[in-house]
Amino acid sequence: MLQTSQTASRRHAVVSETRHLLFTVTPGAAWIILFLVLPSLYLMAVAFMTNGPYGLPQLPLSLSSFEQLAGVGFLGWSPGNLYTLLRSLWQTVVATGLVVLVAYPIAYYITTCRARWRPIMLLLVVVPSWTNQVIRTFGWMNLLAPGTPLSNLAEMMGLISPNMGLYPSNFAVTLGLVYNFLPFMVLPLYAAFEKLDTAQVEAAQDLYAKPVRAFWHAVFPQTLPGLLAGVVLVAIPAFGMYVIPELLGGGKAMMLGNLVATQFSGGSNWPLGAAGAILMLIATFIGLFAMRRIGKRLGGGEEVVI
Amino acid sequence: MRKRTLKRGLTAFWWLTLIFLYLPLAVVVLFSFNAANSAARLTGFSLRWYHQLLGNEQIITAFGNTLILATCSSVIALAIGCLIGYGMYRHRHRKLGWLIVLIYLPIVLPDIVFGISEMAFFVQFHRLTGLLQPGLGTMVIAHVTFQIPFVALIVYSRFVGLDPSLFEAAKDLYATPLKRVIHFMLPTIKPALISAFFLSFTLSVDDFVISFFTAGPESATLPIYIWSAIKKGVTPEINAIATLMIGAVALAAVISLAFNRQRKV
Repeated sequence: MLQTSQTASRRHAVVSETRHLLFTVTPGAAWIILFLVLPSLYLMAVAFMTNGPYGLPQLPLSLSSFEQLAGVGFLGWSPGNLYTLLRSLWQTVVATGLVVLVAYPIAYYITTCRARWRPIMLLLVVVPSWTNQVIRTFGWMNLLAPGTPLSNLAEMMGLISPNMGLYPSNFAVTLGLVYNFLPFMVLPLYAAFEKLDTAQVEAAQDLYAKPVRAFWHAVFPQTLPGLLAGVVLVAIPAFGMYVIPELLGGGKAMMLGNLVATQFSGGSNWPLGAAGAILMLIATFIGLFAMRRIGKRLGGGEEVVI
Repeated sequence: MRKRTLKRGLTAFWWLTLIFLYLPLAVVVLFSFNAANSAARLTGFSLRWYHQLLGNEQIITAFGNTLILATCSSVIALAIGCLIGYGMYRHRHRKLGWLIVLIYLPIVLPDIVFGISEMAFFVQFHRLTGLLQPGLGTMVIAHVTFQIPFVALIVYSRFVGLDPSLFEAAKDLYATPLKRVIHFMLPTIKPALISAFFLSFTLSVDDFVISFFTAGPESATLPIYIWSAIKKGVTPEINAIATLMIGAVALAAVISLAFNRQRKV
């Protein structure tokens, strides 16, 4: 008798807990499912449809959008889209590499300064990224346009042909990407440097390790989790970047994001744009997965949180 | 000896990087006070572009749209995100992997994929049902979608930081759940709510890509207006409005610094 009433009250508790869970979680979960999951699923479906009039998708289902993405058109195969894809990859790799090269010494330098200055220094690095991306990129357009001091200097050094200016160009896009993503790398690296166990570095120096060796064996592994987190924060959004190549690149520096966006506005070929979006998603998830794997292996099994 | 050279080199590199970071913003500010209608040379100081701003109805409308969008979306996201954050905390011992994936989805999805998904969905939905015409309404929906995760995570981490026995005490003190919410929960998580609101607001004002793809013809925000002005050919007014936005950010930076200082003392 007592036992049944206990089970009953326990069951009642479970039911009310579940009701509580549903009450708190349902509005948000429903919102994200309705306004993000469904739209993305619809977008994926669009990729497998045919392009109709006004660029809107139609049945029958086909793979023609993926063929177009690979460069197959009415006039046979053309390498344009393939170039765009390779350029996106190349820009992402180069920009991420440069960001690491700049952010590493900066993050280290901040940790060597007095504790009371560090928050201000971090703030100084981060504040430019609080301004709107369009405005920041506009600033670079002003700096790199033909006739500006920077362009004239580059011209004098023979880096560019006369009156061309540094923008629009692939170089301007790389510069814009580095500028945009620098804070995303400095912050996680700074966090890693701050936790650095200096005893290991001293031990390496005591054992007469050369600076490079000491760095490689005592410092680098300790900052690796921060570095990987930074790479994820930089490389993934850089690969899908739209604003910077659109403003700083011109037609010859298009990236995948521009290819996708054009199909939904000017070019009006939704299936092709959707196929491009799927490609971007695949690359994103491969990137995330690879970083986790590398992080686990190099971090000695320690989970790298991203 | 070697150490000192290293330190000096690093200091020089630090200042160079700061110049790199602030140069584009400085150029925008400088040219906003330029008398000539030219982006190539400075001729003298003038406030004429700021005067023109006040007379530009499109900019005033865009400014209003930006504020309406940021306020509405932040309020909705705060309510929904707060609930979900508490749900995640209270039921953290259950298997909620699906919920975590759902919450991280808006964060990991590339902006452009996010934007065009919503756009394609809204356009087709409008064609089929006549509802949800692209405009401020669809923009609010899209912004709430990317704000919810941030609010939820901030509220969740505030709850995790609390002493669990506080909840027991509140249960003894206040009989009804509603009273517990009003007298215990909301006051306790107030700092988290404030910072979640400001983060949502900033994210909304700062967003360009998602707004751009979900906007209607009448609902341009400031970033969208600036974008189309740049695309059409730069007008110096853009420098002026951009300078005002940079000024707002600088103000926010000073406030956050003061706030940080205060908290430490």
